[in-house]
Amino acid sequence: MRKGRYLLKRLIYIIFVFFIISILMFTIYKALPGDPVKMMMGDNVKPEVYQQQYDIIREQLGLDDPIPVQYIKWITNMLRGDFGYSTEYRRPVKDVIGVPMRNTVLLNLFSMIIVFAVAVPLGITTAVRKNSIFDKFIQVITIVGYSVPSFVIALLAIYLFAIRIPLFPISGVKTAGFEGTGMAAFLDSAKHMILPVLVMSVGGIGSITRYVRASMIDALRMDYIKTARSKGLREKVVIYVHAFRNALVPVVTVTTWWLIGLFGGSVVIESIFLWDGLGKMMITGLSQRDFAVVLAMQMFYVILSLVGNVLMDIAYTLVDPRVRLEN
Amino acid sequence: MKKKKLLSMFLVAAMTVSLAACGGGGDDTVTNNSDDNSGDNSGSDVQDVAGTEAINESVSGTEAAGGAPAGDRPDTPSGQIVIGSMTDLEDDFYDTNYTVTATNYKTYNIIHGYDTVVTTKEGEWITDPTVVADIQQAENEDGTKTFTITLNDGLVWTDGTNVTAKDYVFATLLESSPEMMGVDNYSGTNYTQIDGWDAFSSGETKNLKGMRLIDDKTFSLTVSAEELPYHYDLAYAGVRPRPLAVIAPGCDIVDSEEGASISGDFTTDVLLETIGNTDTGYRYNPQVTCGPYRLESYDASSRQGTFVVNELYAGNYEGMKPMIEKVIIKTVTAETEINELKAGTVDLLFEISGGESIEAGLDLVDAGVAQKHTYFRNGYGLIRFDCSQFPTDSEKVRQAIALCLDRNEFAKKYSGGYASIVHGDYGLAQWEYQEAKDWIDQNLNTYEKDIEAAKTLLAEDGWTLNADGSEYSGEGLRYKDVNGELKPLEIQWCNTKDNPVSELLSTMLPEAMKEAGMDLKATTVDFPTLSAAIDHQGETIYNMYNLATGFSLQHSPWYYYGMDEKYMGGGYNSSWIKDEALASAAEALKTIPLEDTEQWLEKWKELQVVWNQKLPVVPLYSDEYHDFYSNKLQGWDTTSIWDWSQALLHAWVTE
Repeated sequence: MRKGRYLLKRLIYIIFVFFIISILMFTIYKALPGDPVKMMMGDNVKPEVYQQQYDIIREQLGLDDPIPVQYIKWITNMLRGDFGYSTEYRRPVKDVIGVPMRNTVLLNLFSMIIVFAVAVPLGITTAVRKNSIFDKFIQVITIVGYSVPSFVIALLAIYLFAIRIPLFPISGVKTAGFEGTGMAAFLDSAKHMILPVLVMSVGGIGSITRYVRASMIDALRMDYIKTARSKGLREKVVIYVHAFRNALVPVVTVTTWWLIGLFGGSVVIESIFLWDGLGKMMITGLSQRDFAVVLAMQMFYVILSLVGNVLMDIAYTLVDPRVRLEN
Repeated sequence: MKKKKLLSMFLVAAMTVSLAACGGGGDDTVTNNSDDNSGDNSGSDVQDVAGTEAINESVSGTEAAGGAPAGDRPDTPSGQIVIGSMTDLEDDFYDTNYTVTATNYKTYNIIHGYDTVVTTKEGEWITDPTVVADIQQAENEDGTKTFTITLNDGLVWTDGTNVTAKDYVFATLLESSPEMMGVDNYSGTNYTQIDGWDAFSSGETKNLKGMRLIDDKTFSLTVSAEELPYHYDLAYAGVRPRPLAVIAPGCDIVDSEEGASISGDFTTDVLLETIGNTDTGYRYNPQVTCGPYRLESYDASSRQGTFVVNELYAGNYEGMKPMIEKVIIKTVTAETEINELKAGTVDLLFEISGGESIEAGLDLVDAGVAQKHTYFRNGYGLIRFDCSQFPTDSEKVRQAIALCLDRNEFAKKYSGGYASIVHGDYGLAQWEYQEAKDWIDQNLNTYEKDIEAAKTLLAEDGWTLNADGSEYSGEGLRYKDVNGELKPLEIQWCNTKDNPVSELLSTMLPEAMKEAGMDLKATTVDFPTLSAAIDHQGETIYNMYNLATGFSLQHSPWYYYGMDEKYMGGGYNSSWIKDEALASAAEALKTIPLEDTEQWLEKWKELQVVWNQKLPVVPLYSDEYHDFYSNKLQGWDTTSIWDWSQALLHAWVTE
């Protein structure tokens, strides 16, 4: 009952925050200097008819309305699933963001799998073997991993694995002119994905390994670990059942943000590897004052963040029974 | 401690290797003009940037590692090339009214064709003899002019049906109609010159008065009197056909005394399906076209387009047909484009800019891995003044600023030695420049850096006071008495971020201007903000901007220096200059007949002299573009007015 009331309150909170942020975002973007209609028209229109065309397009896009009216129209349409009209691509936003979103999610999903598959065992192992040579070596590597800028790692990876040893393509999503389908198409795409996924994973592995290590070290210091060991439990059971479970709470936080981040594109990675994703789309949208695209993406991230927080709270209760969902 | 040292060394080594190895650091483009958004370049063997002399001997040139003579050109299409483009290819294949990206712009040329009027490789306007059997021009009593055009036989669409006069008339009606403007805000301004366009485009009439369908092979186009006389009037007869049966199925072209009209179910809803359907619409997936290539496929996730040769294509104005069977366009990035060429994942990189990228490409040429072709850009990077804003409303202040910059040194530093400078309102690929090179060198002020001369100009302009109103001491900021108010000589400069031109100007200009008694105040913004400022949207603050421009083949200075409000902003008179002498000099060109090149050149020179004195703009550099391409590509010959989409028709590949 308490849980239900808590979730209801959180839902009301989410709706309230969503509307406040939507007003703020809309107002901020509308206040930015730069004219989307002018960006849309380019310089190709003869001056004799420029103003006439300009006025027609402005009216068609509803940009002549007062800002509050524009907001109400925009938010109403958005709640109906109509995310607006892209002035850059001259088509509905929903027709524009589908492919980049798929590319971004694909890249981030594989990256996340690799990060957690490597970082969690590595974090546990380094915690268990704290201060050993292995632990120190991994610590150095992980510091390098998350402190070196991703564009440097990307260029280094391209140089090593695409130029010096040409195992992977330099950039792109598919081979130019490739006509295969099914498994062949998947393999071609996978080949192009390996380098960007690896580069994206380096930073994540570095930070999450250290995160898991720190949590595990704290957990391994607890009295219940000593109790478990004194009961004669096997070390694996002590580590994975008793210690790791208690170390999970901070890991859940990180995992939730990674899940939310699945939909957030990396401008650097996408630009260097020419992986057409949401990060690049966001930058293009901003530079072209394509507010419908930018606002749709921003609000999507707002919803993800708000819902993600609730999911995180629920996840805490699952990994730690002491946590209760209540005010 | 040792571990820390090792770690530091590793990091430094890693960064150095990665940055050096991946070639071509890639200068950011400073070209924000849509005419020239493909990049900004410089380079070649020409290291001298001292002036126009540098380019006299080398307007374009090819140094091939494996070039083959033209006689080896095959007579059937074969092979493929992958073209690497710095801008994405969008799935938008109609025309510039939808998408103006440089790459899409070029694909319009390769999939659409049979324009009645084209420009030659030399930039001359002609009727396309492959398309037009006959063109008659008649000047009417009411001041209008009628072009009657008869088409050749043998022009067919890719589906094998004939291209008829109806398709040409349909194109003008379609692209002027209010129905079409309802399809994703199409800016239907392709045919504004046609008599009766206003009434037709507003929906007032169903007939376009100036278009007549005479028979299946003949149509006429009447240009309204307001548009005449006009130097490029032949361009007004230019029509690109659209397939009536595909875009308006069941409709027909009906001719009457009131002009041509479209009969049948011609509505925005129909067009939204035949043009706007994202899977099958003509905008996204045009399958019935008539250019040298046809669209085979577009992959949205990789933004790659594949084009195959149109076997039914009758040829360009020279009768040339493409001999490269397949063309694939993919995006490349400045950081890795040269590596892509080396790896063989692209075959052609065009309009390469920046010293680092050019040097990396030249290394491939030296190694025999690639070939190169160079040509000068038909435009330049520039400082644009706002001539409506105090104190740059004074030509002497503008001239003084120009005298504070060593433009030769600037061009050299910016381009790594691969650029030239110009002194007027012209591009290096324009025929007028080619004809008047010597005259330009003798008659235009080159504004060599001369701070003493700048000081003299400022003194002549009344900047002779100190902050306290006393006579200028010779040091510090100058002031001027303007209607009893002391005003400082402050220049507000708006520039864009991450822009190497801005950065270089920041190091070369402020000190020199300070020495002359000026204060340069810089503000860095993003491009849309700069663009809005140029257009005077919001408060007008700035005196100067740095950006770039390109000259089209229909260069119309009467727009750019016209004093009417309609020319201000909108990409035309962006300097907001209202100068009688300049406007008159520009306007004088407008009415000169196209064939009277002698008179045109004389008036053009007069314009350059006035422009050079009024100086609404300071040209900074004009780059030399480099095309780098694989050894399998033969017969490659581009210029800045004959781009890759046109050069493709002369080229072939040897596998």
